[in-house]
Order: sequence, then C-alpha cells, then structure tokens
Amino acid sequence: MILDLHSHSTVSDDGRAKVENYCQWIKRKEIPIDGFVLTEHRLYDDASDYRSLEDQFGLLILKASEVETEYGHVLVFGVTQELQAAFNFSQINLSLATVLEESERCGGIAVPCHPGRPRVGMCAHIGTRGEVEGVRTIETLNGGSRGNENEQAASLAARKGYARIGGSDSHIVSHIGRCATRLHAEVRDMNELVASLKEGGCEAVKLEDRAWIPES
Amino acid sequence: MTILQYQDLEFGDELPEVTPDVSMPTIRRFGEASGMTYWRFTDHEKARAAGLPGAIVPGIMSQGILVALIHRWAPSATVHKIDTIFRAPLDVDSQPVCRGVVTDMNDETKTIEIDLTICNETGETRVLGTAVVELP
Amino acid sequence: MDTGELKRQWVGKTFDTVSFEIEAETMLQFALACGEELPRYTDPEDPDFQAVPNYTSCFHGTRTLPEGFPMNMEESFDGGKCVEWKAPIRAGDTITAQSHLHDVYEKTGRSGGMVFIVHRMQFTNQNQKLVAVVDWKMIRKTG
Repeated sequence: MILDLHSHSTVSDDGRAKVENYCQWIKRKEIPIDGFVLTEHRLYDDASDYRSLEDQFGLLILKASEVETEYGHVLVFGVTQELQAAFNFSQINLSLATVLEESERCGGIAVPCHPGRPRVGMCAHIGTRGEVEGVRTIETLNGGSRGNENEQAASLAARKGYARIGGSDSHIVSHIGRCATRLHAEVRDMNELVASLKEGGCEAVKLEDRAWIPES
Repeated sequence: MTILQYQDLEFGDELPEVTPDVSMPTIRRFGEASGMTYWRFTDHEKARAAGLPGAIVPGIMSQGILVALIHRWAPSATVHKIDTIFRAPLDVDSQPVCRGVVTDMNDETKTIEIDLTICNETGETRVLGTAVVELP
Repeated sequence: MDTGELKRQWVGKTFDTVSFEIEAETMLQFALACGEELPRYTDPEDPDFQAVPNYTSCFHGTRTLPEGFPMNMEESFDGGKCVEWKAPIRAGDTITAQSHLHDVYEKTGRSGGMVFIVHRMQFTNQNQKLVAVVDWKMIRKTG
C-alpha cells in the first residue's frame, strides 16, 4: 500500500491546495497511490471531514500535524485530544523529547521530517544538541528537498537504524505524490497507520515514470 | 498550444514551458520600471560579497514572468489573482524554467486555478504560486 | 516575542496613504521586461492598453510599518506577494494606496526562526474604484 505521508492543504498558512483538487489530480494523472495524509503546519485540523471525498475518489485521506521543535520539524501521526492538550502545537520551539514522549504516551508516533534540511532538520542540530533518544522513524525522502538533503537523511537513518518514510511535502496540487511511503500492511485508518509505522513496516519511495522506486 | 476559451480546457492541462529572459540587461530594465534597482538585483559582485550566489531576480519580476506565461498560453485570459511564494533566490543570468498546470475548474464562473513554478537549472523549485484566471 | 499581542495591537489599522501617477512608459517597460507579448500590455497605441495585472506589486508607500511598531524590518526579506486584480489601471490614472497590517505570525524554515508580517495595500483609482489588493509577506529572521 502506498501513502503520501506529508502534504499540506489551504488549512496551512503556506498551503495553496484544496483537498478535492489533490484527489482530482491523483486520478487524472493516474498517480499510483492509495491515499495521503494532511500534515498541517503547527495545528491539528479538527474541523475538516474528508469522508465524502474518500468515497468519491476511492482514496484514504488521513489527518496529522507538522510541529516545530528545537531539532527541526516533526510529523505527528495519531493526534488525539489528549495529545493536543499535552503541548501547544502552535509553538515554534517545542522540545523534541516532549513531542516524542507525549506522542507515544497518547498512542501516536512522532517522525522527524526533512532531517537533512538546514535549521529545520534534525541533522543540523545533533552536533550541537546531541543525539536524540526515542526516534524510531524519520522521513528520508521529501519532495521539497534540495541538494543532498535526502541523502543526509538516508545516512542518518542508516547510521541509527531508523525506519524510513517518504512524503511529497506538497503545498500545491501538482506536487502531491512526488514521494511516498510503501507500507507493508494494508491500513484503513490512522490507528492502523500508526501501528504500521511503529512496527517499522514502511519504506520511502519516489515516483519516476509512473512507477515507485526505492531510495537510491 | 494557445487556449482561447474555457471549453478548450481540461483539468490537468499543462501550459507550454517558458525559459524566461533573466539576463542582467533585462533585470536592469525591470529595475528602472519598478524601482527595484538595489545592488542585490543588479550587481553580481556586490551580491556575492554579501553572501548571495550572485545577483538575484526580483520576486515581483518572477511574478510578472508567471503572469506572462499565462497570457502567452491564453491571450484572452483575465488573471484575477496571482499568489507567489519566493521560496529561494532565482539567479540573474541563469536559465530557469516556468511551468503551469490547471488544477481546478469552475464551470459556472469559467474560472480556473493554475499551479505555477519557476525551477532553476537543477530542477529545484525557487518560486511557487497559484493563479485564479477567468476565460471567455 | 509575542506575535499574538503584536497582532492584537497592530493588525487592521490604516497607517499610510499615498498616491501615484501612472505613466505609459513605465507600464510598458515593466510588461516587456517580464516577457509580455500581448498588445494590451505592450502597445501604448492599443485601445485597451493597461498595466499588467501584478503591476501594483512594485508600489511602496511612505513607510512599510506603522509608526511605533516595535520591530525593525530593515533586515527583512520578501517572502511572497499576492495580487488580487480588480480592474484595469490605465496610463494617466491617479492611484491611491492605503496600507494596513493584515497578519503577523511566526514559524521556522530553512532560514531559521522567522516572523512574517503581512502588509496589505488597497489601491483605488481617481474614480474611487478598487483596482487591486496586494498582500506583501515581509520576513524577518529571529534566530
């Protein structure tokens, strides 16, 4: 099963894509993907309900968050009301340790994203702030990466034995599905996605010529 | 291909790519017209001394280049809105590529939305945007 | 820095009003430099000659921030511009722009910590017709 685990809609301050248009794009361009996760910046979008779009387009559409910590940005999957009460999602200087611990405590999982990116990726901070305990999985393929940012992330994953995910980090419609995650198990909802990520049953893949290829 | 009417369009249509002229003489011409005559746009050496890779294209010129991309494709289009995010500098005297694709269509208002990008020679997205465009 | 407090105190208040005379030659050079080819933007003799839709994005008021705003934006950079075009701007028009702050928020990115200040300019012509609204995202690094 293939899901794009990192995308933004107009709910994010810099997102310009309507979710319905993501769905139309996937179908029109025949992107071989089973769904995507909306990881809105610094918030969890309680209000939006995408079930009718899921039915109309035959796609799985899940909701998560992208929060900001001293080690960079982190995707949080499995956001509950309890987790939203545990820390302020809108703050830009959260503690990564807190985000990791509280996510686990509340039944979710926190995944540092674009770790190779300057300032907002984990690699840039390990040298000065030290290694991070509690990370299981990182994003090693990000559709918005420049230069060797994805290679740095892959090196970190190899060194630490982390599981790997991929996501487009799309902010406009036509960028959805540039990168994604192959899940070894079929997932139908966020609980099953979190379980799959916790088991490490995932790999990062990128789309080339309408086919998913693993990281190089 | 030139588009004349809304009915000629389909969701997902791609605008013909354009390699815009971002040579220094054109940047200076734009600077004179817009008041954007700062050294970071018009002087490679000073820009490098300030830590930039060289002189950079003014953001609003990138925006104008994207508007021109739309007009070249659909001469009768009315651009109601153009929203551009300047993600990273675009180098003067480089060979960027502008692209656009139709990502939303409203049959009632005959308006469309277009995703717009300007990428550098290595394919990195430097300017990102969307436009709302009406067609007859 | 409490951006929420900045937002409460400063957003929505008009702090600058300035007028501009629109000249054909400047409109023309702007359009040509951007690669425009349509006569309505590139031929001053065309009966529909007008400024390109994003022409107002190059206009600046007498100040970028309200007097007394507690942040220096001299080191800021341009994060983006959004232009809503409402009506044509013609050579000879007198355009009046009113500025207010539309939003203030903070986030982190490749440049580190950043405060975003969204400066909105509303442009009306000599007939009091709204011709454009421009949102300009000014970014100031904070760390």
